Amino acid sequence: MKAALHQALLLIVLASAAAITAFWLHPRAPALYLIEEPLQPDEVSLKDITQHWKGKVLWLDARPLDQYTTAHIPGARSLNEQHFEDQLLEMLDILQTNNKPIIIYCGGQKCEASRHVREKLLSRVPIEREKCLVLKGGFPAWQAAQ
Amino acid sequence: MKRHSLLTCLSLVLASSLHADLVLEVQTIELKPKPEDETIQTDFIFHNKGSKPVKVLSIDSACSCLSASLDKAIYQPGEKGVGKADFKISSFIGRHEKSVHIQTDDPAQPEWVIPFIIEVPEVIKIEPKSLQWWIGEDGSAQVTRVTMMGTEPMHIVNLTSTRERVEFSYREIIPGKEYEITVKPTDTKEVMLGALKIETDSKIPKYQRQLSFFSVYRRPAAEPTPEVKP
Repeated sequence: MKAALHQALLLIVLASAAAITAFWLHPRAPALYLIEEPLQPDEVSLKDITQHWKGKVLWLDARPLDQYTTAHIPGARSLNEQHFEDQLLEMLDILQTNNKPIIIYCGGQKCEASRHVREKLLSRVPIEREKCLVLKGGFPAWQAAQ
Repeated sequence: MKRHSLLTCLSLVLASSLHADLVLEVQTIELKPKPEDETIQTDFIFHNKGSKPVKVLSIDSACSCLSASLDKAIYQPGEKGVGKADFKISSFIGRHEKSVHIQTDDPAQPEWVIPFIIEVPEVIKIEPKSLQWWIGEDGSAQVTRVTMMGTEPMHIVNLTSTRERVEFSYREIIPGKEYEITVKPTDTKEVMLGALKIETDSKIPKYQRQLSFFSVYRRPAAEPTPEVKP
């Protein structure tokens, strides 16, 4: 009985050591640390949007049009890389009268589309950079909070 | 019992050292579409250079413009695989770096990222792409240069504005090659965001209409106010 317990303990220790080593060494370790990762200068969290602006922002959805059509944050406008200029043309009236912060989101933490759209938007329209931010965690973060 | 423990340990260590390793035959997949292409496809070759079979669980792309598929789901150690990629060009111009993310069942390589570089030729170059004036400040005329980059001549056939509070005109610098568009807001009292629609006689439909943006906008504050930035 004692030997069996020792063996079980050894197995647990070895498995834990292997897991910790793999996590520590792996260049693309599981995204556990992302939860605590500080915000990038161009990012804003959903919590901050609620606390500072009470959710009163202009949402821009940088995901592909089919994903936007399936589901999007209420009130969000589609502005993606593929149809950028035509979609921007359609929303010039909205941007002209907009005084709210602009928050761009895409499909998740790894998605870079919102950053690409933000840069393109800022290069076409002189919006203040700090009033045009990317939602940390993207659409999944918003879904998870509902 | 001691021998049994030793065997268990050994097999555990061996098992933890086994891993899959999906590797592309080239470092990056490069796609170079022609100006008239709407899509471009390519095949790419990769190998499982690891010591363990690997199962592909899912294939994701951050951009709907790029899709990929692999010829099978499980690759044995040393096995060669073939993938297909399809890029929809739509309004992309210039160099773009995109990637496809392959999720596998191997904890040592849970995600394999396939990098792509797409070089879409710039047929019409508009520079600057956006003209800008500040509210209450000098509203003098500014110029945008339009250059036809292709070998075939291309002409501007019409120019319209989405806003009335702006004067605009164009002139040909080099016939079929270079144009200059002059834009001037009638006043700079209020915010105005607009666009010029540049129509050309291009044989390629997607280049028959181009956009150039202009704005009269609030000059940004020197420093952001703390209550605005969370």
